[in-house]
Amino acid sequence: MKVAKIKVKDNIEKTVLSFLRETIDKKLFDAILIPMMVPAGDSYAWVLAQDKSLLDGAYYLPPIMSVQGAKALSSVTKGGKVNKRVAAIMRPCEIRAAIELSKLNQIELENIFLISMDCPGALPLKDWLKDPKRGVDVFKKVIQHFVDEEPKPDKSVRPACAICHRFSDSDAVDLHIGILGTEGEDILFIPHSTQAEAIFAELGLSLNENLSRWQKGVDEVLKQRKKKRAQVQEELKSTVVGFDKLLDTFSNCINCHICQSVCPICYCRQCYFDSDKVKHPPDDYLMRAESKGNISLLPDKILFHLGRMSHMALSCVGCGACEDACPMSIKVAQIFSLIADRSQGLFNYIAGKSIEEPLPMRVYEDDEFHEVESP
Amino acid sequence: MKDEFKPRIIGFLCNWCSYAGADLAGTSRLQYPPSLLPIRVMCSSRVDPLFVISAFLRGADAVLIAGCHPGDCHYQEGNYYARRRFACVRKVFETLGMESDRLRLSWISASEGPRFANVITEYTEKIKKMGPNPAKKNIFL
Ligand code: SF4
Ligand code: SF4
Ligand code: SF4
Ligand code: FES
Repeated sequence: MKVAKIKVKDNIEKTVLSFLRETIDKKLFDAILIPMMVPAGDSYAWVLAQDKSLLDGAYYLPPIMSVQGAKALSSVTKGGKVNKRVAAIMRPCEIRAAIELSKLNQIELENIFLISMDCPGALPLKDWLKDPKRGVDVFKKVIQHFVDEEPKPDKSVRPACAICHRFSDSDAVDLHIGILGTEGEDILFIPHSTQAEAIFAELGLSLNENLSRWQKGVDEVLKQRKKKRAQVQEELKSTVVGFDKLLDTFSNCINCHICQSVCPICYCRQCYFDSDKVKHPPDDYLMRAESKGNISLLPDKILFHLGRMSHMALSCVGCGACEDACPMSIKVAQIFSLIADRSQGLFNYIAGKSIEEPLPMRVYEDDEFHEVESP
Repeated sequence: MKDEFKPRIIGFLCNWCSYAGADLAGTSRLQYPPSLLPIRVMCSSRVDPLFVISAFLRGADAVLIAGCHPGDCHYQEGNYYARRRFACVRKVFETLGMESDRLRLSWISASEGPRFANVITEYTEKIKKMGPNPAKKNIFL
């Protein structure tokens, strides 16, 4: 494969930004969807930047995931395609969520140029909020450890990131930004579409093969993350698996549904669990209380979680947004990772990996799953 | 003497095949245990995973989904989708260590009255052995 290598000037962040600035300057894109630091300096918001000077406060890889990127893209293209050329630069899990949403008709990808990067992870929102300034420094360290010739796992990233093994997935993007194995000295721009190659030509970027250092970094991080994933899932099995343990796990859930509202994949325009369908007449609750002697309120907490799992685990991209936002620090994303791996595995499906692969619930085969039929 | 455990099975039966099969079992006066609470749906594919989970959490000892045999769905392909969905809910149950045997999918045609009676008899026996659904008495759901 041919890639373009750019020497890092100042730091990776600034070098990527100057690349993006040039694409706007040369009118290769009309706008760029990218996170930008808010004036208060304590968070990052998605913006559609149309002017290169506006890219100043932008961060292609911010320390936190405030709004999941696919949600931002969906808010722009839910009503149809954009008529200008927009580059969207998002973490791999945000890209995968965008691919899932495009299959669900909630994102229109026409005219959208997708850019992803090697992702070291994001910091937990709760840690970040305690001291954003410190968070910026912590994240610098995270990146340093990540791009090192001997990459080291960093304990400050979110649990979902520590077990993410698709941190460098790039099948569905136009352009991937490789930083692994580079010691922060250079950046690899890896084209995945003819459009990307055309843009390189416009910018006079020459393609020279040199992926071995990067590939080594990718493989090493992959090894670490996979190991961690297996270990975490094994531990989860002993704490979550079994009906009673499951109830214990969710026992301090306050039924706020925040995990659902921040999830990019919870695509229903109205969630069933917020609809009138779950509001029953008083007698219904009294009847339930009578048969059990008692019921806990708010009702239907476990129904919500099991329902959500069975509705969207097939498309869960493991982005960790749910867990990051949960006010009760419930391991929602880690539990979802378990369910998602198993249920996607039934169909050899990987959520968001490829735009061509149909959603498993949209297709079937005549001769399959006989093991779940009872004679 | 302790009351004998009588399983309660919620059955989602498709209108065109399995519900008619149940009807036939009734009009043919076939004997089977009174454990089933049938709910008629237009097609097995109408059964959202939530129906199943809801029934389970509200204390059903088992949930049966029954529809036309593959190839015979009134809407051509509904039961193929139903089967995929069912495989998924079962997987969720299995992964979380909940008893997935309390969920069952069977194909029963309109002419299979005896088969319907058999399925209910056999499934009731199986659930009897498993005992009551643990969710029945749990209040923190
Ligand atoms: S889950 Fe974490 S590590 Fe994986 S792509 Fe998303 S933010 Fe990056
Ligand atoms: S369930 Fe959680 S981890 Fe999965 S896609 Fe939704 S927010 Fe991301
Ligand atoms: S965000 Fe946390 S507390 Fe709120 S419903 Fe989800 S799991 Fe429960
Ligand atoms: S109509 Fe019977 S399964 Fe579809």
